[in-house]
Amino acid sequence: MPDLAIRTQALRKTYRTRRGKRVVAVQGLDLEVPIGGVHGFLGPNGSGKTTTIRMLLGLVRADAGTMTVFDQVVPDRLPDIVGRVGAIVESPKFFPAFSGRKNLELLADAIGAPRQRVGEVLAETSLNDRGKDKFKSYSLGMKQRLAIAATLLKEPDLLIFDEPTNGLDPAGIREIRETMRYLGQQGRTVLVSSHILAEVEQVADTVSIIGHGRLLASGTVAEVIGGSGKPTVKVALDTAAGEHAANQERATSILTSAGLSVRAEGKYLFVDGAEHSADVTRRLAQQELYVSELIPVRAGLESVFLELTADEGLGGQQ
Amino acid sequence: MIRLTGVELRRLIARRLTVIGVGGVLIITALLLFAVWRDAQPMSAAEQRQNQIYLEEAQKDWKLNGAQYQKDCEAQYQSQPDPKPSLKEFCPGPPTIDQFGKPEVVFAELMPDLLQGVSYLLVGIAFLVGASFVGAEFSSGAIGNWLTFEPRRMRVYGSKLLGGAIGFVPVAVVVVAFLTLGAFVIVDQLGNTASTTGKVWGDLNETSGRIVLMTAVGAALGGVVGVLLRHTAAAIGLVMGYLILIEGVFGSFLTKAQPWLVRLNFDAFIGHGATYWVQQCESSGGSYSCTSVEKHVSFEHGAWYLGITAVALVVLGALVFRRRDVN
Ligand SMILES: Nc1ncnc2c1ncn2[C@@H]1O[C@H](COP(=O)(O)OP(=O)(O)OP(=O)(O)O)[C@@H](O)[C@H]1O
Ligand SMILES: [Mg+2]
Repeated sequence: MPDLAIRTQALRKTYRTRRGKRVVAVQGLDLEVPIGGVHGFLGPNGSGKTTTIRMLLGLVRADAGTMTVFDQVVPDRLPDIVGRVGAIVESPKFFPAFSGRKNLELLADAIGAPRQRVGEVLAETSLNDRGKDKFKSYSLGMKQRLAIAATLLKEPDLLIFDEPTNGLDPAGIREIRETMRYLGQQGRTVLVSSHILAEVEQVADTVSIIGHGRLLASGTVAEVIGGSGKPTVKVALDTAAGEHAANQERATSILTSAGLSVRAEGKYLFVDGAEHSADVTRRLAQQELYVSELIPVRAGLESVFLELTADEGLGGQQ
Repeated sequence: MIRLTGVELRRLIARRLTVIGVGGVLIITALLLFAVWRDAQPMSAAEQRQNQIYLEEAQKDWKLNGAQYQKDCEAQYQSQPDPKPSLKEFCPGPPTIDQFGKPEVVFAELMPDLLQGVSYLLVGIAFLVGASFVGAEFSSGAIGNWLTFEPRRMRVYGSKLLGGAIGFVPVAVVVVAFLTLGAFVIVDQLGNTASTTGKVWGDLNETSGRIVLMTAVGAALGGVVGVLLRHTAAAIGLVMGYLILIEGVFGSFLTKAQPWLVRLNFDAFIGHGATYWVQQCESSGGSYSCTSVEKHVSFEHGAWYLGITAVALVVLGALVFRRRDVN
C-alpha cells in the first residue's frame, strides 16, 4: 500500500436541519489521497466535498467511519498533525475588522510561529502593500491570497483547498493553479476540491470523483479518462438540405459497421472510438459522403465526470 | 493554553468595541463623579435664606401644635414593627435648621451606593464586550479558520473566556479606583470624610474586590453566551429579554421569587447582603389586607447562587462547543 496523506473509510455524515429533516451529505466514502502532488477532489454541487473536508479538519463530527491524515487517526490525533496541514474551507474567513497582517499575527502567535514569518508569507502572496488594510476591504482574490498566506505560516505538508478559484477572474484562477502546481512539485500534497473539471484537470496528478457522498472513480487522471475509451469527434456532412437526413443515416450505418459508436444530434454526428479522426473522413469519402466540419471533442475528465455523475442529480438528497 | 490566552487578550484589546466599551465606562464614571460634586456643593446664599424662612415658619407652627405632634408621633411609635428605631430618631422634636436644605454628603454613606451603581455598569459592559468578542467569531466564520490552527476545542474555549475575563480585571480596577479616589477628594473638600474609619475602608475594599471579580465573570459569561448563540445581537437580545421579562416583570409580580433571581443575588454578593420587600396578604373575616415585609438575602446566598450559575453556564458552553459542528 502506498503512503497516503489522507485515507477515509466508510465515512458518513448526516446533517439534521432545523426543521428536523435529515440530509445525508456523505455516505460511506472511501477516499485515498497519495502523498505528494495535486489530488483533485471532484463532485457536483452538494455531493459532500466540503463536508468531507470539514470532517477531516475536525470542524464537523463524522457519524461513522474512520479517517487518517498522515497515518494519524483524526480528529483524535489532529493536534499532532495540525501543524502539517493548511486548509482553506469554502471562502476564506478572517476577523473582518482587523488588517490582513493583524489576522496573520494572531494566527502566528497562536501556533507559536515567529512573527517574521508574517512578513514573509505576505510577501510570498504579494500582499505586503495591502497588509495594513482591513480584511473586509479586500477583494475576493486578495482574501484568497491571504488565506494561502495563512496556511503557509505553518509550512504545511498537506494543503487542502476547497473550491479555491470560486469567484476569481481568469488571472486569479491561473495564479492559484500555478501556486497549487508549485506546491505539488515541491513534494507537498495538495487536495483541491472543485465542481469544475477544467480547473483541476490541468494541475491534478490524481483525482477522486464523488457523487451523493460516495466515491465514483479514482486514480491518475489518465486512468480515470482511460476508462471511457478513445476520443470523440463531432462531424457535419457536406450535403444538400433535402438529403440531410438520408445521408446522416447512411453515414451512421457506415461508421457503425466499422465498429465505431455514433449518435446524431442536430446537424452533427458524434463518433466515439476512432483511433484517428482521419479514419472517419476516409471511410465516409469512400462512400462518397464528404465532411464539411470535423471537430475533435475534448475527451477529458469532463465527459467522464458528466457520465459518472449524470444520474446523481444535485446530489446530497436522500 | 497560556499562549492562546495571550493571543485572545491581544485580540480583545485590538477590537473596537472593547475600546468603545471601556471608554464609555470611563466617561460614565466621570459623570458619576460630576454628579457627586454637584450634590456636595454648599447651598447658595439664596437657598440658605429660603431655608431660614421655612425654618421660622415651622418653628411658629411647632409653638402652636408641637405638643400635639409629639403625642401623635409617640402613639404612632408604639405601633411600629420591631426592631424599632429609637424614640429620639422617630420623633425628633422641635424643627432644627439641618432638617431643611441638603444633608451633608458623607463619604462612608455615599460609597456603597456609588459602587453598586458602577458594578452594574462594569458587569454589563464586560458581558456585552465578552459576548461580542466570541459571538462575532461565529457570525463571521473566523472560528472555523481558527480551529484549523488550534483544533483542541477546550483550549480554544478556555482561552477565549479567560482572555475576556483577564482583560477586564484592570478595567474594573481602574474604574473602581478612579471612582473611589475621585469621590474621596470631592467629599473631602465639600462634605464629610471624617467618619471613614479603617473598618469602612476595609468594607469598601472588599466590595471593590467583589466588583472586580464579578466584572471578570461577566466578561467570561458573555463569552459563554456568545458561544451558545453564535451572534452578538442574539446574545444581547437574550440578556435584555431576560432582564426585562424575568427579572423585571416576573420579579415584580412574584416578589417571593426574588431570592432566586440574578439581580438580588448580585446585590447581596456585591453589597454583602441585600434586602427586598415581599407583599404579604391575609384575609381574615372578609377583609383582605396586604403589608410589605422586608426580607433579607445573605451574602453567602448570593455568592453560592452566582457561583453555581456561573459554573453551570461555563460547563454548558463547554459541552455545546465541544461537540458542535462549525461552519
Ligand atoms: N450545515 C449544514 N446543515 C444541513 N445540511 C448541510 C449543511 N452543510 C451541508 N449540508 C448539505 O450536505 C450536502 C453536502 O454539502 P457539501 O457542502 O458538503 O457539498 P459540496 O460538495 O461541498 O458542494 P459545493 O460544490 O456546492 O460546495 C448538501 O446537500 C448540503 O445541503
Ligand atoms: Mg463545497
